[in-house]
Amino acid sequence: MDLVLQLLFTGIGIGAVYALVALGFVLIFRATNVVNFAQGEFSMVAAYLMVVCVEMGLPYWLSFVLALVGMALLGVIFNLGVYYPLRHRTYLPVIIATIGASILLANSVLAIYGPQPQVLQGWFETPGIQLGPVYLDSQYLLIIAVTIALVIFNYWFFEHTMLGKKLQATSQDKEMASLLGISVSTMIMITFIYSAVLGGLAGILVAPILFVSIQMGSTIALKAFAATIIGGFGDVAGAIIGGLALGVIETFGAAYVSVPYKDGFAFLVLVAFLVFRPQGIFGERVAEKA
Amino acid sequence: MKLTRREFAAGIAAGLAAPTVVTSARAQSATIKIGMCAPVTGPAAESGGYAIKGAKLALEAVNKAGGILGKQAELIIEDDQTTNPGIVLAFSKLAAQTDIVAFLGSIRSTQVHAISPDVMKLGKPVMIGGTDPTLTHMGNQWLFRFRPNDSYSGRVIADYGVNVLGKKKWAVLHSTDAFGTAGGKALSSALEKLGAPSVLDQGYANQSQDFTPVVLAIKQSGADILGSYFTFENDLGIFARQLRQLGVNIPWVGSPSIVNITALKLAGPALYGTYGVADYAEESSEGSKAFGKAYRELAKVAPDNQSSWPYDAVTVLAAGINKAGTTDPVKVREAILSIKKFPGAEGEYNFDQNGDGLHGYNIVRNEKGTIVFDKHIEFND
Repeated sequence: MDLVLQLLFTGIGIGAVYALVALGFVLIFRATNVVNFAQGEFSMVAAYLMVVCVEMGLPYWLSFVLALVGMALLGVIFNLGVYYPLRHRTYLPVIIATIGASILLANSVLAIYGPQPQVLQGWFETPGIQLGPVYLDSQYLLIIAVTIALVIFNYWFFEHTMLGKKLQATSQDKEMASLLGISVSTMIMITFIYSAVLGGLAGILVAPILFVSIQMGSTIALKAFAATIIGGFGDVAGAIIGGLALGVIETFGAAYVSVPYKDGFAFLVLVAFLVFRPQGIFGERVAEKA
Repeated sequence: MKLTRREFAAGIAAGLAAPTVVTSARAQSATIKIGMCAPVTGPAAESGGYAIKGAKLALEAVNKAGGILGKQAELIIEDDQTTNPGIVLAFSKLAAQTDIVAFLGSIRSTQVHAISPDVMKLGKPVMIGGTDPTLTHMGNQWLFRFRPNDSYSGRVIADYGVNVLGKKKWAVLHSTDAFGTAGGKALSSALEKLGAPSVLDQGYANQSQDFTPVVLAIKQSGADILGSYFTFENDLGIFARQLRQLGVNIPWVGSPSIVNITALKLAGPALYGTYGVADYAEESSEGSKAFGKAYRELAKVAPDNQSSWPYDAVTVLAAGINKAGTTDPVKVREAILSIKKFPGAEGEYNFDQNGDGLHGYNIVRNEKGTIVFDKHIEFND
């Protein structure tokens, strides 16, 4: 039982990271109908921004705020530089542009900061607490708490604020939203900013566990992408549940079946969903007219 | 202008002869060129930077001492991206340059396996740092190893743990790539010979984000000592932290990556008190000390095996070519294989007919972040 509890905690912790990045995927997909393959790089850039700020001697909280502000700015630049010029094209050029942007971001950080992986201290002095037989890593606790807070925030924001409703309207039907006087381009800009901040938040939170490296974003993004499909592409709750499920499945799979094939479990589940329930857990079946 | 038949024929002849003339001119170029595949990007980019610095340091010394065959030596570097396809591409780019006389390959066995068929086809000497024992035992006569192979490291780890630390219940943890699998096998085999078969043999995939299931498996196995073969330092760092956080404090004897500069930086106190087999230990010989001093001045960081093996590779290669008196690959090969008692940064080189230059390891321990030399164990077989 102790083993199960320990694995469950770790699985939820790592799953929460996937969920945060998956949320960014979903929000952009809903707003633009394209998958942003640079979402993982948002996490990596934010972690490096955080390292730079901390190394400059700024307080941890201020570094955190500045890194997220930097990510908001990156969201604006990304929207204007990558999405906006291609907004009237089909989804394919936009997706390819996001892949290009992802490579550009990774190589830019490599050129500026060098290949050295960096250590970022966690938010708390205490690395974790022992609760009976289970060790609770303080950083994982923080990640889980932030994910729960974001679930509540997203619900409130999208369901109970005018801006949230405008964003939803834009994601559901851009033409109709436009006819109702909603500035679609502004809403998409806000979505990119929010997604960049979410991706950045995930990167900053996971950095003390996985270290800060150029590859950290792509590693997380691949799993987050799988989580998005499992949860149901385009569904906020699905992204959260998909991420958590993926984290738990791969942790238990590694413990009880095979450690070397840990990543295999995640993608086995992904393939199973694509075959048997392609719309994911929360997605709705889309039928085509004959 | 009208072209006569004679002028046309002369033009065609000149066109056909041009590549040969250019190739010949390049072959007789002013410098001796050595190709190097190094991870400039990818997960091992930091250690790749150290490797390049080590090679350049040796090149500078070689050139100061008169160069190779009276010419200055030059290093041509290609990024292997820390991947197998990356090194195959990098090596093919270098191999296409006919004036490159020899090459430095990778410290990663899996990458050396990837380029091995191309090395055989090319037929020029390639210096390697990969420690999978099979690399120099699979009929490829052009690979020369500048680190002791894992049949030695496995024996040293087992011997130290069993006979010096007195532990017999081993957990063996290794990457599932070529290096880790070979290392894990070598350690398990050595433990069996010492009458202490492992109670857990656990593989893991590179670039894992979480090692909780591995740590819990070690805890449940009842092991009283851990032996490891980690390929990437970030994996080692994550594992080391989780191992300590989950309360596993058994002695740990690791392969050389456990004392790498990157690993020490990432894992910090989680590696205090661990032991490692190290092909490079600064205090182990006069050659090691001299390299350490020069490298510190150049790189401003402590030396480790990432920089010491390319340093030795360039030094020994230069000595081999000078001894052969030519860049002819067959004669260079014979010259390198005849090198005995050659003092290098990693130790004393005595090449055997397989191309293995070193036959022993140092045992070191991590004393609060400082790597302290314990002893050197040399094998004669």
